[in-house]
Amino acid sequence: MAEPLLTLRDLKATFTVPGYGVVRAVDGVSLEVAAGEIVGLVGESGCGKSTIGRCITGQVVPSAGEVVLDGMKLGRRRSPQQRRAAQMVFQDPASSLNPRMSVRAVLAELLRVHRLVPRDQVERRCRELMGLVGMPDQALDGHPHQFSGGQRQRIAIARALAVEPRLLIADEPVSALDVSVQATILQLFDDLRQRLGLAVLLISHNLAVVRYLSDKVAVMYLGSIAELAQRDALFADPRAPYTRVLLEAAPRLGQIGKTPDPGLKGDPPSAVNLPSGCRFHTRCPRAEERCSVEEPALLPVHDGPPPAGGEVHLAACHFRAGHPGAPGQTG
Amino acid sequence: MSAPELATTGSSEQAVALEGFVVRSHPTLRKALRNRSLLTGGAIVGTLVLIAILAPWIARYDPLQQDLAATLQLPSWVHWLGTDELGRDVWSRLVWAARFDLATGFFVVLFPFAFGTLIGTLAGYYGGWIDTVLSRIIDVVMAFPYYVLIITLVFVVGKGIRGIFIAFALADWVTYARTVRSTTLVARRMDWAAAARSGGLSDRRIIVHHILPNTITQAIVYAMSDVVYVILAVVTLGYLGLGIQAPQPDWGSMIFDGQLFMTTRWWLSTIPGLCVVVTGIGLSLVGDGLADVLRPE
Amino acid sequence: MTIPALKVEGLTVEIARGRESFRAVDDVSYALEPARSIGIVGESGCGKSISLRAIMGLLPDAARVVAGAVAVHGTGLSLEGKGAARQRRGHLAMIFQDPGTALNPVQKVGEQIAETPRLVLGETRGRARERALELLRHVGIADPERRYDSYPYELSGGTRQRVMIAIALASQPKVLLCDEPTTALDVTIQAQILRLLVDLREEMGLSVVFVTHELALVGQLCEDVCVMYASRLVETGPTPAVLERPLHPYTLGLLRSAVDLDEELEAPKPIPGSLPDPARRPSGCPFHPRCFLATPECASTTVTLTGLGDGRASACLHVERLLTEDGRALQEAAAKAAVKPQDPAGTAGGDGRG
Repeated sequence: MAEPLLTLRDLKATFTVPGYGVVRAVDGVSLEVAAGEIVGLVGESGCGKSTIGRCITGQVVPSAGEVVLDGMKLGRRRSPQQRRAAQMVFQDPASSLNPRMSVRAVLAELLRVHRLVPRDQVERRCRELMGLVGMPDQALDGHPHQFSGGQRQRIAIARALAVEPRLLIADEPVSALDVSVQATILQLFDDLRQRLGLAVLLISHNLAVVRYLSDKVAVMYLGSIAELAQRDALFADPRAPYTRVLLEAAPRLGQIGKTPDPGLKGDPPSAVNLPSGCRFHTRCPRAEERCSVEEPALLPVHDGPPPAGGEVHLAACHFRAGHPGAPGQTG
Repeated sequence: MSAPELATTGSSEQAVALEGFVVRSHPTLRKALRNRSLLTGGAIVGTLVLIAILAPWIARYDPLQQDLAATLQLPSWVHWLGTDELGRDVWSRLVWAARFDLATGFFVVLFPFAFGTLIGTLAGYYGGWIDTVLSRIIDVVMAFPYYVLIITLVFVVGKGIRGIFIAFALADWVTYARTVRSTTLVARRMDWAAAARSGGLSDRRIIVHHILPNTITQAIVYAMSDVVYVILAVVTLGYLGLGIQAPQPDWGSMIFDGQLFMTTRWWLSTIPGLCVVVTGIGLSLVGDGLADVLRPE
Repeated sequence: MTIPALKVEGLTVEIARGRESFRAVDDVSYALEPARSIGIVGESGCGKSISLRAIMGLLPDAARVVAGAVAVHGTGLSLEGKGAARQRRGHLAMIFQDPGTALNPVQKVGEQIAETPRLVLGETRGRARERALELLRHVGIADPERRYDSYPYELSGGTRQRVMIAIALASQPKVLLCDEPTTALDVTIQAQILRLLVDLREEMGLSVVFVTHELALVGQLCEDVCVMYASRLVETGPTPAVLERPLHPYTLGLLRSAVDLDEELEAPKPIPGSLPDPARRPSGCPFHPRCFLATPECASTTVTLTGLGDGRASACLHVERLLTEDGRALQEAAAKAAVKPQDPAGTAGGDGRG
């Protein structure tokens, strides 16, 4: 198999909160993203999914582990070249664009500073970028307040694409948008993947969004990966109990009159005092004594060699191969 | 641009925004022309500035020329506002004082504005130990009561215009620094600032092109009221005898000199006082208006 | 026929913006049977939250009710004046999207709950405390004795929302108005809160108005649904029927633009265009610039909600086409026609008429 575009190796990120303790936001995550692949990173708030994105772009300095992008090891100090390699698309369209700058000023500056196109080609490239995200050329003259949320998100994507990144990190790119507009942005990502072969790390709490776009999905709980598999394998045959709980709790149009099943009680424990053993055992509907003592590693759910062409289905659960007496799947 | 034309190139979502470009080609200017406080304030300050500039022609006498034979005269066609205790023409002194006080207010503010903005930006943008050191210095300066500090500094470095410049340069920048620091802190955390950084732009470029346009407006608005503070401080210092030295005409010293004759020649100190008030109102209105106009939508 | 738990008739709210004013809620009527739930669905700015606040008597200063009547179990409520909110005690209570700002940060949550029984219902301190503990238990908070003395910042978002519900229940309302109560919460916590609302409805006979932008939530919680667009109701009816076969192009568009875990993995179908500014609603049917069924009459004809039998109603001029033909096929045909970029007639599904 070819060298992956992005490799995270045992990534850790901790924050010290004065008077509170050390928060282990990301606690040993290893993940690979291949060129042209969309990998979904899904989990509830505080599970560390956004912090992983920030570690890759350099907004957060990891406390341990490695970020390797396109053969470059990205450290604390980064060359402009290295910083360009991964670009971010943010959640909040209201703060993602500078209110004082026209769209053209933003794009042209990036193109000029990095000498991405000859000077006389800057305007042409700006128009090309607008076309790429489905905006008219005239939008280049606009300022952020003149655009709707969906349009701003398109402009933010154009800005990210301007520096010709290898990887796009999309942190909840549609969560702040109205439902009828969300679909257009999802289609845009799909379209860009097909046209540009762009790799995307899609960070979202929305399972339906992740399912629609991703090739591969990682489910996170309290700073570590609970399950990692190809999209279809994960949604058809979830093996980590946390994945099942998430799937059961998600609202669905197909279940009219059936109140979603909470599946678990209480709130996630604090990332300061992680539970012993499996970090999910305090809320897990299937936890046994072993779970509170022994931390399960992220291991293949099937014995033997991986299925041809597909990737291995991994889960961090002692009972990943099937719980005694439990139904094989849900949903 | 008509709507049907757009329908062939894009969706109506785009058409909605495009209408906006044509209508609001100069949104800031349009907003400025509709802003009442900016227009009123601008008219007041504009008139005062015009008077100050035209002082050599508007003043009818040399403001320094004494005529001990004609002291404390009542207003007349010869001396519009009468003469003071040294027989100097009050109208001429008032006009020259406007020129001097307005210029002082403006130039004294320049250094604190520029230096404070620079310090505030550096502290807010870089954070860490740079912020800690700069913020402590700001705190120390702020710990002194403002007027006491100014008066002390003028007392130490010497009376007069030089002393006023130095005193304000040392004491006044902290307000700008603190304002700009806090707005920079907010701007730095915005997603667009993170995008500029991960776009591989240099810190200098991000500060100058991205952060400052967002933060400097606050400083500009404060500078307007600061000009008023400076003029008031100069007036106060003049009143204390630490300010502008005779015979230079200045509203503060005119108020001080005129108060001896408050009962018989009340206008000698009241009219310069009114000038200070009107200037203050004008600049405050301009500041208010600018705050509205410069606020991003 | 029973007396509805909540009856809203012709509710119209105007908001002043600068020198002009616009209708944020325009002629909204619905009735909610006792111990049932009604969902009000719409996107941002459609007026769904303002309509709830108007019913609750909590409108912001710039807004005022210009027409309409609200009755709880047959008792009419005044919609204006200082006493409006107080008059609702015992009838209506409301919970909000952000429980973080709706709670007093410097008061113990137990005391915030006990306040209503003590000050309004005239209970003694001890009785009020007991009542608060009972309510905490009722909304599913473990260890209520300990939680009574907590401050809001010590609680998670889900627990805060439970506390908000407890406060709402303290005044013994008959109808609970919920303004996107789960939007700020994680899905597992959202499921817990929804479950709680269902339980309360069954145990206490509480009626629920549930405002949300997510159709899937309405499907799971509410028997009836009202779809709102640009300040008006465009479709109402029993939830299963509406979701199964929408009879307004906007409802259909909303359903098909959402990605859903149960759907086949087909691309979502966005509604073309964007939401109108509520102050500049298109003429006629406000949805016509984005609609796949729009004809020139739609821009000039005022459409009102028209009953269609089986409790259903739709505000669409071309509703008979949706009744007789396959709406999805119509939508797709219109979308295909709109993609052709060189179409000289510029008939992009009504896009150009905006």
